[in-house]
Amino acid sequence: MESLAIYAPRLVTTKEYLASGHRACSGCGEVLAVRLTCKALGRNVIIVNATGCMEIVSSQLPYTSWEVPWIHTLFENTAAVASGIEAGIKVLSRKGGYSQKTKVVAMAGDGGTMDIGLQALSGALERGHNFIYICYDNEAYMNTGIQRSSATPFGASTTTSPAGKISIGQTSWKKNMPAIAAAHDIPYVATACTSYPFDLMNKVKKAMKVEGPAYIHVLSVCPTGWRLPSDLTIKAGRLAVETGVFPLYEIEAGKYTLNFDFPQLRPVEDYLKLQGRFRHLSKEVVAQIQERVKAEYAKLKRKVIQGS
Amino acid sequence: MEKDETIEIRWHGRGGQGAVTSAELLALAAINEGKFAQAFPSFGPERRGAPVLAFNRISNVGHIRVRAAVTNPDVVVVLDPGLIYITDVTSGLKQDGIVVVNTPKSLADIKSELSGPWKLAVVNATVIAREALGIPIVNTAMLGALLKATEILGLESLVEPIKERFGPRAKNNIDACHRAYEETLMAELSVVGQGPRKAFETERLLSWQELLPGCVVIEAGNAKQYRTGDWKSQHPVWDQQRCIKCGICSLFCPEGCIGQNKEGDFEANMYYCKGCGICARECWTEAITMVEET
Ligand SMILES: Cc1ncc(C[n+]2csc(CCOP(=O)(O)OP(=O)(O)O)c2C)c(N)n1
Ligand code: SF4
Ligand code: SF4
Repeated sequence: MESLAIYAPRLVTTKEYLASGHRACSGCGEVLAVRLTCKALGRNVIIVNATGCMEIVSSQLPYTSWEVPWIHTLFENTAAVASGIEAGIKVLSRKGGYSQKTKVVAMAGDGGTMDIGLQALSGALERGHNFIYICYDNEAYMNTGIQRSSATPFGASTTTSPAGKISIGQTSWKKNMPAIAAAHDIPYVATACTSYPFDLMNKVKKAMKVEGPAYIHVLSVCPTGWRLPSDLTIKAGRLAVETGVFPLYEIEAGKYTLNFDFPQLRPVEDYLKLQGRFRHLSKEVVAQIQERVKAEYAKLKRKVIQGS
Repeated sequence: MEKDETIEIRWHGRGGQGAVTSAELLALAAINEGKFAQAFPSFGPERRGAPVLAFNRISNVGHIRVRAAVTNPDVVVVLDPGLIYITDVTSGLKQDGIVVVNTPKSLADIKSELSGPWKLAVVNATVIAREALGIPIVNTAMLGALLKATEILGLESLVEPIKERFGPRAKNNIDACHRAYEETLMAELSVVGQGPRKAFETERLLSWQELLPGCVVIEAGNAKQYRTGDWKSQHPVWDQQRCIKCGICSLFCPEGCIGQNKEGDFEANMYYCKGCGICARECWTEAITMVEET
């Protein structure tokens, strides 16, 4: 559990910038992540939102859940549109037509970020636009019905990597997207998860203060795609962190910090057995995943100790 | 089934309850009996919890050419007890059609809530599913109820498709199906009477003439008008004695629908609550319990 005073939730603003009446699945962790992010961002933002669950559930004609300026983009060009808006704000400010410090915030799913939108994202990070990019990673293309992406974990069954008599489901390891973002030498990279709401909101607030690109990768539990009872959304996210499957860390100007360190990681099985998408896994495959998680966690800790 | 007949079935369920799986299993069973069959869902953005539809056509005449949604069904099957209060489940149902309802209520109670020139079949599939499967997924139980009410196929024809689909969990599903078959009760509905008590006013959809050109939406956050509260099959209830007023439930609610009332007590706005159960699961003091909708 996050070390927090028990009454800390009462300190969070009750103001919502993502209105109720959105059509996300019952128990959706991704919409919760967006809701909390928006609380941390506040009013003075322009949100650039790729196609995907979050766009669909929040903007069904004639309704919108958005209480802040919001634009829907394609998969390919989310970061490019954000770059354009940021550049536009700069020009307007220079010409004296605009005096506010409005933050441009791009949002996309893992498919939109790690597969289809990666080129535009890389360009925007490399050019150094002053914006935040948030990837809501639910580990597959969920809006269209659970197709595998490069974020889908090894061994997960999806509709395009189905488990069967021979197949174990996804046969590749999850792409390390925060490392790719960090390789652009940007000022701020962080991972977060809805099960740690204060950590998530603090990271968003930190990213707001950064001059230049900031990238936040939020593990967003999707009960529908992960085949999980809807009340276990928060618990599943917590287990992802406690097992070391999804460590929470920050990279500030190249320096690594682990936000929650566990001297003793929980066995990955605790996390896997909760979810229908891993139900078919044999002991051997679970052991293989355990090895990998240990090795990756050790790698991360070395970076933390070395400072970069 | 008569010799040259095509029967149309409409399934009413909630996203995630397995209406589509039911329809598919039924079609496979029909095909195994040498009949012709279709099974398909209604496509839309509806998500887990939202009311959804699935359809079957079963024929012993020949190929079924129609591909459209079923609007004048011979049979409707209602998987979720709450749905009869929020959607018009008998819409377009043919004269002498059959309504098969999962409900904890007695035959007499439901008879007082539905009326029309139809037959009624009721079963408490939620209890059966909980006991047979350990979870309230009622789709296989409702297949049993459907076959009892309509006799369109032999019950044993479902065994193979269920085995194929559920593997190690097949036996429990077959048990649920058989038990529901045994426990389904039938009655004639009275032709006149009042309609079901509506939980909410039915939403009026805008016509295209009322939309602004370019599909512009000018009111920020107007989704607040949209009711998602009828997606739920359970709702949270607070024990205010146990509640320490920490507010963790309100932080974790994906709908952002938990707040404090004038007395300072936390409560959920039922207009939006989708019944996910996160608040009850995450409450430190276990002050919240989920109660099934009836
Ligand atoms: C170029 C392109 N390909 C495919 C689609 C269809 N499509 C719409 S949403 C979606 C899935 C999005 O997945 P992800 O980005 O992971 O977000 P999620 O829905 O999981 O939040 C797809 C494939 C599209 N809109 N554009
Ligand atoms: S599919 Fe998953 S991410 Fe999409 S709305 Fe449903 S729970 Fe949320
Ligand atoms: S069950 Fe609780 S957490 Fe879920 S939508 Fe309802 S009030 Fe919110």
